[in-house]
Amino acid sequence: MCGIIGYVGSAEATAPDAIDVLLDGLSELEYRGYDSAGVALANGTIDVHKSEGELEALTSSLPTASLRDPAVGIGHTRWSTHGPPTDKNAHPHTDAEGRVAVVHNGIIENYQTLRDELTAEGVTFESETDTEVVPHLIASYLESEDGVDQPDQRDSTDTERAFRRAIDRLEGSYAIAAVFEDEETVYATRKDSPLVLGIDGDDADAAGDEPTDCFLASDVPAFIEYTDRVIYLEDEEFVRLGATGWTISDSDGNPLEKTVQTIDWDAEDTGKSGYDHYMLKEIHEQPSSLKQCLRGRVNELAGTVTLNELDAVVDQEFSSPIQFVACGTSYHAGLYAASLLRQRGTPATATIASEFTTDRVPIDDDSLVVGVTQSGETADTLRALREANRAGATTIAVTNTVGSSAARAADNALYIRAGPEIGVAATKTFASQQLALSLLNTVLTDRISHGEIQSLRSVPDKVQAILDTSSSRTIVAELVGSDAFFFIGRGLHYPVALEGALKFKEITYEHAEGFAAGELKHGPLALVTENTPVFAIVTGDGELARKTISNIKEVEARDAPVVVVTDGVSDVERYADYTLQIPETDEYSAAILANVQLQLIAYWVANEMGRSIDKPRNLAKSVTVE
Amino acid sequence: MTVRSAIVLAAGEGMRLRPLTRHRPKPMLPAATKPILEHVFDELIEAGIEQLTVVVGYGRTAVQSHFGPAYRDVPIEYAIQNKQLGSAHALEAALPTVDEPSLVVNGDQLIDASIVRDTIDSHDVPAAGTIGVVAANDVTEYGGVIVDSDGIVAELAENPTDDRCYRLNAGVYVLEPDAIDIVTSVDSREGEYSLPDGLSLLLERGETVNAAETEGMWIDATYPWDLLTVAETLFDTETVESTVDGTAQVHESATILEPAIVSPDCVIGPGAVVGPYASLGDNVTVGSNTTVENSVLDSDTRVGTNATVLDCVTGRGVEIGPGSTVVGGRSDIRVGTAVHEGQRLGALLADRASDEGGVTYAPGTIIGSAVTIHAGRRVRGSIDSETEVR
Repeated sequence: MCGIIGYVGSAEATAPDAIDVLLDGLSELEYRGYDSAGVALANGTIDVHKSEGELEALTSSLPTASLRDPAVGIGHTRWSTHGPPTDKNAHPHTDAEGRVAVVHNGIIENYQTLRDELTAEGVTFESETDTEVVPHLIASYLESEDGVDQPDQRDSTDTERAFRRAIDRLEGSYAIAAVFEDEETVYATRKDSPLVLGIDGDDADAAGDEPTDCFLASDVPAFIEYTDRVIYLEDEEFVRLGATGWTISDSDGNPLEKTVQTIDWDAEDTGKSGYDHYMLKEIHEQPSSLKQCLRGRVNELAGTVTLNELDAVVDQEFSSPIQFVACGTSYHAGLYAASLLRQRGTPATATIASEFTTDRVPIDDDSLVVGVTQSGETADTLRALREANRAGATTIAVTNTVGSSAARAADNALYIRAGPEIGVAATKTFASQQLALSLLNTVLTDRISHGEIQSLRSVPDKVQAILDTSSSRTIVAELVGSDAFFFIGRGLHYPVALEGALKFKEITYEHAEGFAAGELKHGPLALVTENTPVFAIVTGDGELARKTISNIKEVEARDAPVVVVTDGVSDVERYADYTLQIPETDEYSAAILANVQLQLIAYWVANEMGRSIDKPRNLAKSVTVE
Repeated sequence: MTVRSAIVLAAGEGMRLRPLTRHRPKPMLPAATKPILEHVFDELIEAGIEQLTVVVGYGRTAVQSHFGPAYRDVPIEYAIQNKQLGSAHALEAALPTVDEPSLVVNGDQLIDASIVRDTIDSHDVPAAGTIGVVAANDVTEYGGVIVDSDGIVAELAENPTDDRCYRLNAGVYVLEPDAIDIVTSVDSREGEYSLPDGLSLLLERGETVNAAETEGMWIDATYPWDLLTVAETLFDTETVESTVDGTAQVHESATILEPAIVSPDCVIGPGAVVGPYASLGDNVTVGSNTTVENSVLDSDTRVGTNATVLDCVTGRGVEIGPGSTVVGGRSDIRVGTAVHEGQRLGALLADRASDEGGVTYAPGTIIGSAVTIHAGRRVRGSIDSETEVR
């Protein structure tokens, strides 16, 4: 997955303006990938500049003085899928004569066929990417029937036709933007990869007439600094951005009326505000984002939880188990949700989204499928939701992104309201997913006690209490240099153990695994040594706690250092080398609190090891390929 | 002249406000329902400031997480003072951001926009700086300024005890970049690099410092009970208005007596009486038939049913159990070695202190952070943080 951007400035805009817009936008999109970056400017001829590595490498290599107007261009930041991260494989890609430049996010599944076909026609490929077939295809359609392209006779209808014919050949997922020589226009389209149009100017509702600045990007933060007025493109819609405005049409070329929406995120939300990393900032934002998640949804006086977005769902009866589908961190939130429901006697399971479709999980019009995706653009989860829709199931998207593909694909959307998250390692969005899903649980089971409402309302402050008092930072020196790290928990703490391990491996690059505490003795115990710290989550002093304490004794007997996350109710501290305290609460909320300590441990260990915390190697924030 | 950027000093703990400052600095303590610092920002923005640099240190995540990268569309830059060695040392942390005449203000004292505007208006080149001063009867606890007949600062003195005619230093300054260089180069006195000493150094170097006479409001909360008078003053001067937020749930049989602020997500149970002079922060819960009067209850505080809470200050996440009584009224309160006579404070409960119910608080009781008090106890005096009262 990658990030793309496009820009057509109004009459007053200059080439340096375009460079600023493209580079600023790409820096906001780096969460989608940062292996390489590039831009193409269409100022008569096409100027392409690209470079391996993070955006700074590109910024420093750009010639700023020698550029000519006008201000039209496209840009790309890459997460490698086909071919290693090199200058050559960086986007934009062009045809041999430099008539067209293309940026692409997604995967062209039939690229090998197309590449063979083009190679047979004599085309030489410069890169190993799937994307490079696109400019060559477009170029081949620019040539008239006698095989000769005549630029002086070419007009914009011809270029658009060539663009559309090329896109028509593609299979797979894509958001693609292209620029042509001798033309001040950006052409773009999408299928199963996100693409948003941003429109500046006062009279932005009137398509086509008033000169305005137009933006295209994989995600809104890329241009939110310039405008908050956006249009979400649907699959197989085409957009043309020109100096006189924008037009959107369907795949047959029929013009479409689209609604302009106003976005309420502001660019300022994206600064680090005094923190060394976005991840730490976002960990500290959890109390306020959790408050947002609860606002207006929990009524203590009436003793009710209401999720207005799901009014249509709550009264339905579902005969088959409720299916949660998700990937990565969101999958752990799904496991937590399924466990919550089962504890209340409602059948539920969580499945990894990419396996959901492979496994052909039986679903029909009596099923409820809940897709959990922070970005709302995760390709695997989207695919599962779409298949569930096709099977007639009721679908809910639990997401952080209003207007995202998942929110639009599902019948209903439950927003977690965590606000923008920049750090690649999900932190506040996981906590907000847990909280939103526990609200969903009470709504679906229609059961909540007064005590549970009180404990839901106290979650934000209890997270604040952990942030105020956590001793996680003081123990990292003892942990760095260990051979591996294991995380164990039972019941609702099992997903927390998995998430703790995922967070840890993502940003420290150390080997970390999470296990159900009871599984330890069925194999993984063989890995436990005096040099493999074990993190255990134990709250309350019920049966689960006592069983986990037995597992802790098993690892203690192998001399492994034990770190427990506990509310201090049981006597687990006696068996621990280090204790991370969380406030006492009910077992449902305890899983939200325990995770915060594990976020902090991962952060401080990675910090101690000097890792690239906000942009861990090989990872990207939202994975829009399957 | 116009001054567009302000440096706000918000790195100090405010030790005399312990135990409220255990997890956050004094500027983040509640003045009515909002942090002191937020009021300061409001007044600065009111006075036309377009760029804020905030020096943070002690408990800095509280400041950074509350405000983020901007406040009311005014961008905030954070400068970090790792060790709190005085206000001039704090200002030094902001030096890299200074490239034009800047306003310098304390983030832990309430000011109003007119002080800021008067100070900016009185500043003119060639003066190296300008100090906002207000008339005051007694400056012995604060900074004093001697002003000569031309409105020029002649001398600064901290906690002056002589009977000369001092103005009160409002802690609002306009300083030229060169003046900031000199002020921050001051030597330490007993390990402290203080801004008034830095300004005295400016005078010694022969620079002119204007005094801006102003009648604007200036309030400092020195001790925990001052938070009650701060809230009272803000209500009485209509700096804050009585409101019940739309997201709060107030039972139809509950009574709100103005002035009172009920913040977002609050819950007020049946038969409860809130006010007058009640400031409830975010997500505060007041149980049924409970009375809260002349009190500042910070975010996430929960008061059980049938409780009486008078003249009380709480930190975040405090729990006052059912049937507990904070009697209210005046008493002599010991802070360290000093006894402050006749101060009005029912009780102070620091962050996440809790009682199980039926607890009676004698006037002037100070409960540390995360203290737990068992049901039915009577408490008085000072109780250390993280202890259990059985």
